[in-house]
Amino acid sequence: MILSLLIFLPLVGSLLVALLPENQTMRFRWIALIITLIEGALAGLACMAFDRSIGGYQLLEQANWITLPLGNLGIASIDYLVGIDGMSLPLVVLSAVVMLVGVVSSWTITHRQKAYYSLYLLLTGTIMGCFLALDFFLFFLFFEFMLLPMYFLIGLWGGPRREYASIKFFLYTLLGSLLILLVMIGLYLSVMDPVSTAVAAGFIADPSAATDEVIRVIQGHLQSGQINPTLIVHTFDMRYLADGGNYLPSAFLNPASEPIVLGLPARMLAFWAVFIGFAIKLPIVPLHTWLPDAHVEAPTPVSVVLAGVLLKIGGYGFLRIVWNFFPDGAAEYAQTLAVLGTISIVYGGLVALAQNDLKKMIAYSSVSHMGFVLLGMASLTAEGINGAVYQMVSHGVLSAMLFLLTGVIYDRTHDRRIDSYRGLMQPMPYYATLTAVAFFGSLGLPGFSGFVGELFTLMGSFQSEWLPGWLTAVAATGILLAAAYFLWTLQRMFFGPFWFRHEATALTPVPVLSDLTAREKLMLIPLGALALALGLFPNLIFTLTSTTVGQWMVKFAVE
Amino acid sequence: MPVDPFPLVSALTIALLLLPFAGFLAIARANGRLAGGLAVGLTGTGLLLSVLLAANLPTDVVSLRADWATISGVSFGVSFRLDVLTALMLILVHFVALLVQIYSIAYLHEEAESAPRQLSRYFAYLQLFVGAMLGIVLAGNLLVLYAFWELVGLASYLLIGFYTERPAAGKAAKKAFLMNRVGDIGFLLGIFLMYYYFDTFDLSVLTGTGAVGNAPTVLGLCLFMGCVGKSAQFPLLTWLPDAMEGPTPVSALLHAATMVAAGIFLLARIHPLLSPDALVVITVVGTITTLWGGYSAVFQTDIKKVLAFSTVSQLGLMVAGMGTGHVEGALFHLLTHAFFKAGLFLSAGSVIHAVHTQDMRQMGGLRHTLPTTFVAYTLCAAALAGLPFFSGFLSKEAILGGAFAWADRQPGSLSGVIPVLLLVSSGLTAFYMARQWRLVFFGAYRKDAVSLAQVHEPSWLMRGPVVVLAALSVFIWFSVNPFNAHESWFFAFFPIPEEPPIGWLAPVSVGLVGLGGWWGFRLREPDYSRSYVRLSLDYGFLDTIYQFLIIDPTLKFAAHLNRTDQRLVDGAVNNAGISVVVLAHLANGLDRYVIDGFVNGAAWLAGQLGSLTRSVQNGKVQSYITAAVVGLLVMLWWLL
Repeated sequence: MILSLLIFLPLVGSLLVALLPENQTMRFRWIALIITLIEGALAGLACMAFDRSIGGYQLLEQANWITLPLGNLGIASIDYLVGIDGMSLPLVVLSAVVMLVGVVSSWTITHRQKAYYSLYLLLTGTIMGCFLALDFFLFFLFFEFMLLPMYFLIGLWGGPRREYASIKFFLYTLLGSLLILLVMIGLYLSVMDPVSTAVAAGFIADPSAATDEVIRVIQGHLQSGQINPTLIVHTFDMRYLADGGNYLPSAFLNPASEPIVLGLPARMLAFWAVFIGFAIKLPIVPLHTWLPDAHVEAPTPVSVVLAGVLLKIGGYGFLRIVWNFFPDGAAEYAQTLAVLGTISIVYGGLVALAQNDLKKMIAYSSVSHMGFVLLGMASLTAEGINGAVYQMVSHGVLSAMLFLLTGVIYDRTHDRRIDSYRGLMQPMPYYATLTAVAFFGSLGLPGFSGFVGELFTLMGSFQSEWLPGWLTAVAATGILLAAAYFLWTLQRMFFGPFWFRHEATALTPVPVLSDLTAREKLMLIPLGALALALGLFPNLIFTLTSTTVGQWMVKFAVE
Repeated sequence: MPVDPFPLVSALTIALLLLPFAGFLAIARANGRLAGGLAVGLTGTGLLLSVLLAANLPTDVVSLRADWATISGVSFGVSFRLDVLTALMLILVHFVALLVQIYSIAYLHEEAESAPRQLSRYFAYLQLFVGAMLGIVLAGNLLVLYAFWELVGLASYLLIGFYTERPAAGKAAKKAFLMNRVGDIGFLLGIFLMYYYFDTFDLSVLTGTGAVGNAPTVLGLCLFMGCVGKSAQFPLLTWLPDAMEGPTPVSALLHAATMVAAGIFLLARIHPLLSPDALVVITVVGTITTLWGGYSAVFQTDIKKVLAFSTVSQLGLMVAGMGTGHVEGALFHLLTHAFFKAGLFLSAGSVIHAVHTQDMRQMGGLRHTLPTTFVAYTLCAAALAGLPFFSGFLSKEAILGGAFAWADRQPGSLSGVIPVLLLVSSGLTAFYMARQWRLVFFGAYRKDAVSLAQVHEPSWLMRGPVVVLAALSVFIWFSVNPFNAHESWFFAFFPIPEEPPIGWLAPVSVGLVGLGGWWGFRLREPDYSRSYVRLSLDYGFLDTIYQFLIIDPTLKFAAHLNRTDQRLVDGAVNNAGISVVVLAHLANGLDRYVIDGFVNGAAWLAGQLGSLTRSVQNGKVQSYITAAVVGLLVMLWWLL
């Protein structure tokens, strides 16, 4: 019940906002605030209900949605299936926090509030749906649907080049979705639902009678071709997609038979297709160029959501779909993947060093930090994968903070260029302090969460038997680059005598660089405190992830 | 959890660690005037606790452990460790920090009047530093050590950049942090390597692991990189002179006495791990550093930079001591150096405070106007130069003696060069200290802006700590015998293998020191554009080399990548977008003119056909009948 509420409460809220009359301007933001607050409480409840000692999916809610006999193609079945495990729960909590902060940050949005909050709540619901869905089809539905509010949020409330940025974001992600869709259909045709098939084939009377024994028998029958093809129930259920025993012997994504398509192994093609689909979202160099544009043009709260949550869907997709359904690919291409991650780390860091736009600098630093996520996952070690999930949460908190800080200065002067400011320490000491906290947290200072994420992803990649040691050494230069671009920015913007660029004309008054307002502090201080708490007590995350990852590592142990 | 055998010691340790961090939070909010007193009180309490701890130190090593991160069954713990070395460092850090903070209250009194917020910021940062430094000292495993190591870097960054309105301060702070990070990356990889080989980060398992072979050499050198950064060893030494942008008491505490000594402490901790090959590299790096730093100090004109480079040089000496296997000697020098170098910096602070310049060329003749400072400075400088009857003599002799003994044990004859070079560098020390002594305190006063009459000794709040440190530069606190450190209490705690003393060493080194000192005192200031002077002033042009070889190319490469990113990578995306649009237009054209053409053509054809057939339907019955008959005939023909 908690999980469905997490998804549907914001969707209902979105509808409510859309139906309210236009003149209720003040109410929209309060509705959004209350709903995101409840979301936070629900995420907290989910945490409490979650049993940390169980590695599998929990709090499952299942309802049959579509069942369709397709003759020789078997029986099609799509379920409404939601649940959490150690990998999704931290991200659900992160989303709840970031969406809440995003609403507070949206207080500055003044025009077309009704549409804005309606779309914002729609986005919240689809994001939750993405992290909670355990049916591939349902996941894909949310994944796709998320594009719509995002497109409009950038395209309507964004900066000068918002149309370009939003269409670019949309098309890029759509291309990725297309690849994911193809693989999804391929997987669907290749996999049976052993429980429903057992029922359909008359082995058991109803699904509740399905034991592990029955499933093994059914799988054995499937592999030896004793089941009538018309009775095979095809499924999008992720639990079954992850089990090699459920693959039809003749299916072209069967891991055992290695069929060839276009002269290449089908599973390899599928692996890379779905990898690229999610790599666009993470993003991984060279598929990252939508990110800086989207960030620069998006209004502050949308940037916060984009960096804080949306990128994580890419990383989550890697684990939940790519690594989960193609463990053979993840092991076989571990080196290539790690090299891609390392390239992202170094490339993102170097390009960040060359930026003069604060938002762009942070956008590229996101690229760099997400590289650690891929590196950790590619290591196929417990440290690496736990570290990657941790790094996603950590980056979610810190990047949200960074974009909020950029928003603070932009709200005052409408200028984000680093070289437009000097000595900001003097007029805005509070702002300077919190910026320093966010910067040092992001550059991996021990005590803050950024350090833990980088430490364990790097440690994982170093311990990994799949990866050469020099790769870790190269990736570690990323933390030097991070220190370089953050501290250089700090030096340029906050040290020295106070000065800032402004054209004082008779019409435009000189902007006042006032220090943080209470509302801004209300957003920034909790985020900073959260980054600190996670950094001091990383077990807050690791107790959630570690059992799931531990159980999950078995997949790679045999390879 | 097992029963803690040493509840008092554990409680004290935890209290010691928490105290400065609590202080950091409290002082950051405190009123500026209150801040100094609060900081001194806290550090004083810390000192008392440390002494109490040292007095109750059990003979066993005490370790505290708590779970920090558990990953799929493997626990990465936070652990702290207490042994003799820790107890010594605890007292040292607290003691110097206490004196420096007392001194700072008076030194920063101008800030107290104009901007009290600045003062609470200053003392809060100092508390942060003390806490981080204690963390390093108490760390029981390398991961914890690394964490506090970085935190010390933060404190150093904040304190170097304390005068935020000075652009140079921000630059120097950034430089210090980045150069340290370069070393720390090696350190981090070393930590990973250690985990790879030993499956633990714990320092206690290191004791007695006589590791040899190829990979452990790499491991040792990676860990040593941390020391290279933090202790300003060659080639990462150029951040230390720039760090002098910070307030002078900070230079005394962080960049002379304690923080930069953390690298030496690290080497002492990991010493059992270091392979012979690694030790040779460490020795060579230390020797290069001591000479490089020494020569760079020779012609500096800034009073603090001379001291900064002498610190570099002395740290090099300690590292060389570690490399040559004389851990205890190096630690002994760490201890004595902390006192006399902090004393020198604080005296220099008093001078700067009095004449409002750091340029020694504008000073001179201050021995009469600043008598206390002069005496204190002289004592500390004598200790630094290594004159007999001073602490520095004892500890330097220990390192040099160890180095000569080491050279005898080495197979190659080339290794004999190392101790000789170390000996030369101690002559160099005497040379530049004597030059500085003369420039500051002798000759004629050379500054116009502040007349000599305005120059006066600072308050006793500042003179007191200086006097204490100067007093501690005398031999008697360390060893009753001024010529032989072997009888020192220090070596009772840190036993060293009995080695036959080298009889000729003391006279030779005293001779060299005397020669260097005499020469330095008599030296006439050369033309500053001479190449050998420039070489010293620009410390071997290291920064220029970095600028040309590393920083500029990196920034150029970054800018280039940025352009590539926009033009090539994003360009490809945009071009793909554009080509799709072009394709769409082509398709549109095709649709309109070709396919639509077909459709239109077909419609036209249909129209034509229609009018043709329409002409058939002309309403004439004859035509219909004709058609019907023809149709019938055709059908009949087809059917038959």
